[in-house]
Amino acid sequence: MPKSSACSVLSHMNDVGFLPSFPLAAANIMLVGAILLCGLAVGQIFVRVLRLPRITGFVAAGLVLGPGALGLLDQTMLGQLSIFVDISLGLILFELGRRLDLRWFTHDRWLLVSSVAESLLSFLFVYGILRLFDIAPVYSAAAAAIAMATSPAVLIMIVHDQRAKGPLTERLLALTALNNVFAFLLIALLFGFVHLEYRADWLRAVSHPLYLIVGSAGLGYVAFIAARTLSRWLGKREDSQFVMLLGLIVGTVGCAISFKLSVLLAMLSFGVFAKNLDRDHDLMAVEFGPGGQFFLVMLFVITGAGLRPSELPVAGAVGASFVIARLAGKLAGIGLFAPLSGITRKKALLLGIGLVPMSAIAVVMVQGAATLNPEFGAKLSSIVLSAVVILELVGPLATQWALRRAGEAEPVSGAST
Amino acid sequence: MTLEFSHSSPLTMGVELELMILSTHDWNLIPGAEDLLALIAKETHPGDIKPEITESMIEISTGVHTDYRAMVAELISIRDTVVASARRLNLAIAGGGAHPFQHWSEQRIFPKERFFRLHDMYGYLAKQFTVFGQHIHVGVSSGDDAIYLLHMMSRYIPHFIALSASSPFSQGMDTAFDSSRLNNINAFPLSGTMPFVADWNEFNGYFDTMCGLKVVESMKDFYWDIRPKPEFGTIEIRVCDTPLTIEKAAALTAYAQALARHLMLDRPSAPSLDVYRVYSFNRFTACRYGLEAGFIDAWSRTRRALKEDIAETLLRLAPHAQALGSTAALEELRRCNESGQNDASWLRDQFKAGQTLNDVVRRQSELWVGETTAPEPSGGS
Repeated sequence: MPKSSACSVLSHMNDVGFLPSFPLAAANIMLVGAILLCGLAVGQIFVRVLRLPRITGFVAAGLVLGPGALGLLDQTMLGQLSIFVDISLGLILFELGRRLDLRWFTHDRWLLVSSVAESLLSFLFVYGILRLFDIAPVYSAAAAAIAMATSPAVLIMIVHDQRAKGPLTERLLALTALNNVFAFLLIALLFGFVHLEYRADWLRAVSHPLYLIVGSAGLGYVAFIAARTLSRWLGKREDSQFVMLLGLIVGTVGCAISFKLSVLLAMLSFGVFAKNLDRDHDLMAVEFGPGGQFFLVMLFVITGAGLRPSELPVAGAVGASFVIARLAGKLAGIGLFAPLSGITRKKALLLGIGLVPMSAIAVVMVQGAATLNPEFGAKLSSIVLSAVVILELVGPLATQWALRRAGEAEPVSGAST
Repeated sequence: MTLEFSHSSPLTMGVELELMILSTHDWNLIPGAEDLLALIAKETHPGDIKPEITESMIEISTGVHTDYRAMVAELISIRDTVVASARRLNLAIAGGGAHPFQHWSEQRIFPKERFFRLHDMYGYLAKQFTVFGQHIHVGVSSGDDAIYLLHMMSRYIPHFIALSASSPFSQGMDTAFDSSRLNNINAFPLSGTMPFVADWNEFNGYFDTMCGLKVVESMKDFYWDIRPKPEFGTIEIRVCDTPLTIEKAAALTAYAQALARHLMLDRPSAPSLDVYRVYSFNRFTACRYGLEAGFIDAWSRTRRALKEDIAETLLRLAPHAQALGSTAALEELRRCNESGQNDASWLRDQFKAGQTLNDVVRRQSELWVGETTAPEPSGGS
């Protein structure tokens, strides 16, 4: 068609509604694409140029795009994207729960002891340090409880990226599942204290933790029963079971949010029930694979965008002390008791280092505290988030290093072998 | 270099079994040998427990036995040590000749000088060697006896293949073979059979030539189906898949012992090159069809069902088994042969019953520790 005629067609039309109007209607979906591509690009740069884990790259991409730096992703957008965070966490926690074989404790009781020890010591050390900084006991305790948990997302992603396989990897996954449960239980109890601190009555102080714990675990159980019933009907077909589990995971995450329950405990217990109560082995071990990758990249970029590097200089000293005390607690707990499980001191040390990542879940927990009581949440976040910035960037590296040193990561040579 | 053949009491026996180390999460192989061996090293146990070429394998071996029951007891004790240590690491152990769905390229070479050298030399074959076999040793008093017994035993190799076969699945597929494992071994340049030498002296001449040509450095470099093991004073039968149970492994060893007793005492015939002319064919059909295979008897120059030949041999061995105290072992093999149900059939049945290959491996590991009922050959279903 000649150029002039095209122009005349346009000019003769009264209504130009077929042209896009600003802001673009599909802005959100474009945003998702852009986030994925940015994350991918920065991740690749980190791997190829800096030789750092790509997760660190995803987080860095988020950090640069987020309100802390360029501000291309603002608070409202992050709020709209929170569904991706919830689904990602649901997938990860379910997967982690499924790796927790409770029979293991009967064969190796020192596993449970070393888990309690590393959780307890990292709590005590962090609590002690924060008290030295004159932070009030209830904040110190809440922050220290958050310090107990290792990031399931970082761990699972690094294990996946490194194609790590072996006894240390198994132990790392089990310890992570456990310290997340311990952290959650403690935080739920502390919520009770927060109610008391802010002059609520005893009934609320007791019923809130109880509701959280029993309700979330109950929801996980209901999800498990649904999964088992459906899988019996579907049969052992990987494609059907994959979609079924994905549906149940997303649905359960939604229920947990609607009922103001804990996504973490609900999903983790869903996974633990699926592993330990599925006596007839109706559920298949499903890999979320490349589809799951989409959610994980989103999770890390959005997590990065939620970080506040500007707080680092202000709370730097507290943050750094927090990180060191936490590491000392993990290393001491594991170093003292893990060798009783029959593993070497060197492996125990690597295990402690592998537990370093602390991240998205801590942020979620802080947000939970913020909705409970904004004042409490704000104070807590200023303490914890600087530590999160440090550990979010250093954590993946620590875990990757530990898995490589233990010889459980896939040798880098790849295709040539 | 002359190989000295150590004297050992005739008809003593010993067994080596290569086992799978499994993840209890997805029942794939998991590289856990190093940690597992470190744990086991702290326990006192009979026999010997060693690494194998890749990190998801472990090898157990018994001491020297004359009595079948004592050997079963030792095997059970070793098995229990390995399983208890594996459980402390949340790992599982299983028998079976090949892992049904592992991918060979994901296997990792166990960090030991010799294994790295093999990997350098054989390339991907080294990782494909992640298959699990049973090696049976039978004691003989001299090198000449070893050569005679070896040639005579070669005729019976298909028996051992069909009775032990437990590797129907490989790399995620049904191979249509009952023992797919032996196909992996065929690829090695020094696999196959020992040359048709007349006595130990002639064997030494052959070995000298091969050493001189730098084809081999030691007896270890020959991957033959049966080979003499001069330092132990034994012959070593290497064609069996690791069975799914300790009991089956012990029964196969007792079968070799009784067969050796028959061949050494009765001396039924002179070694014949004809056995080797039909050897590859017999071996192939036994791998492919298991107990349903055909069999060419080189001595009588007739074709018959392998099952028939095994049944007849078992009858002939009955007095020898009685003398050795292993009647129960041969009875177990008789039932297996009669029903035509070997371990490969059991594995296929599990898969057919709507189980995934992951479930098949889980059941395999339950069977190994005795939590699931063993294949019931008399039922024939």
